Amino acid sequence: MPNSLICCTPFLQKFPSYMQSSARRMGIMTDVHRRFLQLLMTHGVLEERDVKRLQKHCYEVHDRNATVEKLEDFINNINSVLESLYIEIKKGVTEDDGRPFYALVNLATTSVSKMATDFAENELDLFRKALELIIDSETGFASSTNILNLVDQLKGKKMRKKEAEQVLQKFVQNKWLIEKEGEFTLHGRAILEMEQYIWETYPDATKMCNICHRLLIQGQSCETCGIRMHLPCVAKYFQSNPEPHCPHCNDYWPHEIPEVFDPEKEREAGISKLNKKSLRSRQH
Amino acid sequence: MAHLGECSAGSTAVPPQQKPRRRGRSSAQAEKDEERSPGRVPRVPSGGVAEEAPSTSRGPGGSQEALGSASQAAPSAGPRTQKPLELKAAEPVQFLLVKDRKKIPVRRTDVMKHVVGDYKDLFADLLRLAAQRLQYVFGYQLVELEPESNPYILMDALEPVEEDAEVRGDQGTPTTGLLRMALGLIFMKGNTIKETEVWDFLRRLGVYPTKKHLIWGDPKKLITEDFVRQRYLESRRTPHTDPVDYEFQWGPRTNLETSKRKVLKFVAKVHNQDPEACEALSDEEKRARPAPEPSGRAPSS
Repeated sequence: MPNSLICCTPFLQKFPSYMQSSARRMGIMTDVHRRFLQLLMTHGVLEERDVKRLQKHCYEVHDRNATVEKLEDFINNINSVLESLYIEIKKGVTEDDGRPFYALVNLATTSVSKMATDFAENELDLFRKALELIIDSETGFASSTNILNLVDQLKGKKMRKKEAEQVLQKFVQNKWLIEKEGEFTLHGRAILEMEQYIWETYPDATKMCNICHRLLIQGQSCETCGIRMHLPCVAKYFQSNPEPHCPHCNDYWPHEIPEVFDPEKEREAGISKLNKKSLRSRQH
Repeated sequence: MAHLGECSAGSTAVPPQQKPRRRGRSSAQAEKDEERSPGRVPRVPSGGVAEEAPSTSRGPGGSQEALGSASQAAPSAGPRTQKPLELKAAEPVQFLLVKDRKKIPVRRTDVMKHVVGDYKDLFADLLRLAAQRLQYVFGYQLVELEPESNPYILMDALEPVEEDAEVRGDQGTPTTGLLRMALGLIFMKGNTIKETEVWDFLRRLGVYPTKKHLIWGDPKKLITEDFVRQRYLESRRTPHTDPVDYEFQWGPRTNLETSKRKVLKFVAKVHNQDPEACEALSDEEKRARPAPEPSGRAPSS
């Protein structure tokens, strides 16, 4: 055994006083919550369906007989404990199909520095360049070519285009970017993490959804007055409306109205759809 | 590393509070907190560290209670933020969590340099608080390894469960297999093994020190550098050898995190043997157990 061990005080005793007095407001952590948190951290970001699976798993390991708490309450409980650590489990929705997901977000940093531990200086700069192109673009997508052309301007160690291509793939694997047909956009998780940073850094170029007033990267826009809406926001706003009109200028809304995301429909669709989905989520 | 240093150095301004409306649940909580806090907690602490305040519009919910104890722990000298001690402990927690992902022990000096800053004289308290939070919130124990260089590691206080593997996001580490084999090998050779013996064994499995491996990349680097740095293995240079030879033993992290039985179980699975039949383990156990048998049978070697 090693010579010295600093083991923290067993958590059952000796809460610092602030924890005891605010115990009513702050949640209580049990091993169910701890295992959940540990495993969620291995993902960073996870679709709601898988989060529910994870929650169920943690109950099965530690507390078989307990009723599984409603996910929202379960997460709120954990968040109230995480608050003093400036971490939060945030819920977001994918911009393309309105799929809910959860991401562990560090509240104390508002820049891209969250990624700093996993990427080198020149890689981070590549991300920043891609981010700028994405925000400036009309579609929310930046082409691989345009990003790679900026390789010479990167800070840090010199990076070749071939290497930059691999770095972009690393971003996709780590769920900071999404790739579609050679073009890149932000993963929902990046939007959740960097929303504040993006607003502050690119106040003029940043687009906003007319419905939810959150940051918009991908969406539909009115061809007359230019307002924009997220696809899932469009879906909800125009749900079962046969003649959609722009909420701002009332002109006819010319785009195809997407379906509202329905988790039940997904489950019923069966194995073949699950396979298609897992392909899609790999792209995501 | 850099990112938390950036955070506490505070190059980011407090972002505008109005947008984006927080999606979902906590806005009600936010309003409640805001009612409670007026006038009590300086929302933007003086000392020019506005940047350290969390960007959430909620504000630290626990900070009022913390304020009471903070005034007792209030720093006496030097430029300090008015940030309560409990909140300051958030930084070492995040730092340690991030560092632990790579499984490399964190030096005390690193924690001091990057996180503690002006709070150096309260380092012990901060670390103690951080350790409490790590245990309470995440189920990780903060353990100090060798006393000389004081490296810290995070140990999982929760029992790892096989089914965890299905819901993990990172498949553990792909190098686990190689590590476990090395550990098993060391154990079966009597707790110490020469590096040459390691390669004699691994060669039979198609793993070479000089050849790139499909899964493990550079096995030599993994075994002689990475696993040693992560404290899973300990390596010692064998004196008076030419060419230089090394000996490997289980490292302090392995001794803490696992047991010989677990390692043997893994190795036996690989070789399809019943671990109970393995002599090495039963010998070890006999030696460890206080001898109850009056027959005075000496442990077999």
